[in-house]
Amino acid sequence: MFSSLKERTGEVLLPGDEFSFEAEDTISLAGPVKPEKVVCGPGLRRSGDRLLVCKSGVLRHKQPNMFWVDSQQRRYVPAKGETVIGIVTVKSGDVFKVDFGGSEQASLSYLAFEGSTKRNRPNVQVGDLVFSQFLIANQDMEPELVCIDGSGRANGMGVIGGGGLLFTVSLGLVRRLLSPHSEVRSDLQQLFPCELVVGMNGRLWAKASTVQQTLIISNLLQSCDTMTAQQRRALFRRVAQGAL
Amino acid sequence: MLCHNKCKIVFRLEQRCATCTPNSISYVRLFSNASLASPSYLCPGDKLCSAENCIPGTGVYLRHGYVYSSLAGYVLKKNEGEKLPVISVVRETEVQLLPDVGAIVTCKVTSINPRFAKVHILYVGSTPLKDRFRGTIRKEDVRATEKDKVETYKSFRPGDIVLAKVISLGDVQSNYLLTTAENELGVVVAHSGAGAQMVPINWCEMQCPRTHSKEFRKVARVQPEYLQA
Repeated sequence: MFSSLKERTGEVLLPGDEFSFEAEDTISLAGPVKPEKVVCGPGLRRSGDRLLVCKSGVLRHKQPNMFWVDSQQRRYVPAKGETVIGIVTVKSGDVFKVDFGGSEQASLSYLAFEGSTKRNRPNVQVGDLVFSQFLIANQDMEPELVCIDGSGRANGMGVIGGGGLLFTVSLGLVRRLLSPHSEVRSDLQQLFPCELVVGMNGRLWAKASTVQQTLIISNLLQSCDTMTAQQRRALFRRVAQGAL
Repeated sequence: MLCHNKCKIVFRLEQRCATCTPNSISYVRLFSNASLASPSYLCPGDKLCSAENCIPGTGVYLRHGYVYSSLAGYVLKKNEGEKLPVISVVRETEVQLLPDVGAIVTCKVTSINPRFAKVHILYVGSTPLKDRFRGTIRKEDVRATEKDKVETYKSFRPGDIVLAKVISLGDVQSNYLLTTAENELGVVVAHSGAGAQMVPINWCEMQCPRTHSKEFRKVARVQPEYLQA
């Protein structure tokens, strides 16, 4: 199975494709054979003795034995620990309801901000943008957000100030922006200075020195979603020349 | 339909009248004042008999020297050691078994919350209930040790079958309060995300036989003689 998975790395897989133990994977009588362990990531699922593909996408491989399917989607499914940008919709008593683009709204307690106590409430209004992370996120319970980390510090989270622009992109672009040596980010840095908040629910908030530059950034990011690296660099170069 | 014998008492459903069932508790059908011809259940307000002929039991009340029914159902006349029979009105033919404080109940989890889990009580002991009573298992009643570190998501999930014990009947509006803070109480049957029934590994984990993924539950330690292969 390991060999068949490795062969198809980089190929597009569809849900319903399966990998099973083949005849070549028999145990040789000559020497000791160690069974190779395969670690399934997102998009792959084990069912009995077969490996099923559940998402359509490209099969990726990471040494030594990790396989997963890279898929594109725009609908965000909350997961614990991920930071997202949400919009406060309801302020009722001690709890805010935040819309992050999922199937239901998440709850955010007013005590979950840095330095907030029962007397000292945070200044959050309906319609504010909040950058927070998930404390509880599963399919059986209502998701819960917090704006502090485990030690009680904000760490960049909290209410996002005014003046910027919020726009949505696909989840794949967000992951590419957040990866350690992101090409998209380095290309963007060469354009003009801007402030960018990246939420893993596909929402980005950008703020540059002028409104025009902010709009240019948002248009660029939304359009470079489906471009190859070369097309993207060509586009950025054109914009840089036009702006200067 | 007529009773199977030649006695002329008419019932709505297939039943036996008092004269044909000598061994069981006799159900005596008394015609209500309102409808003599057609058989019917008793309604609240129907006059049963005068107070001199019988002692009122449950489901009836005394007014102006007559016994009236206060429930909708069947009449039950019991001849006990005293001179007069005890007359009562019951809603169902069988007496409903209610969960009492200290009873072990089998329930199904309907929804979970960071603070508690809501359940439907299905069985009391080994008798199934006709209606589903609602119960609540609070976060601090899930285990006996480390009560404040309990995560409801790691103890129960919706759809699990749980053995619990009743600790309180609750108020008018609240549900039965249940606890699983014992080794023999907790999740008995659970299904994994893939849909297969999971096998318990230890007191806090269960494993799916199909995908071999482990999930957290508060598992009940069932005695080996009760487990079916």
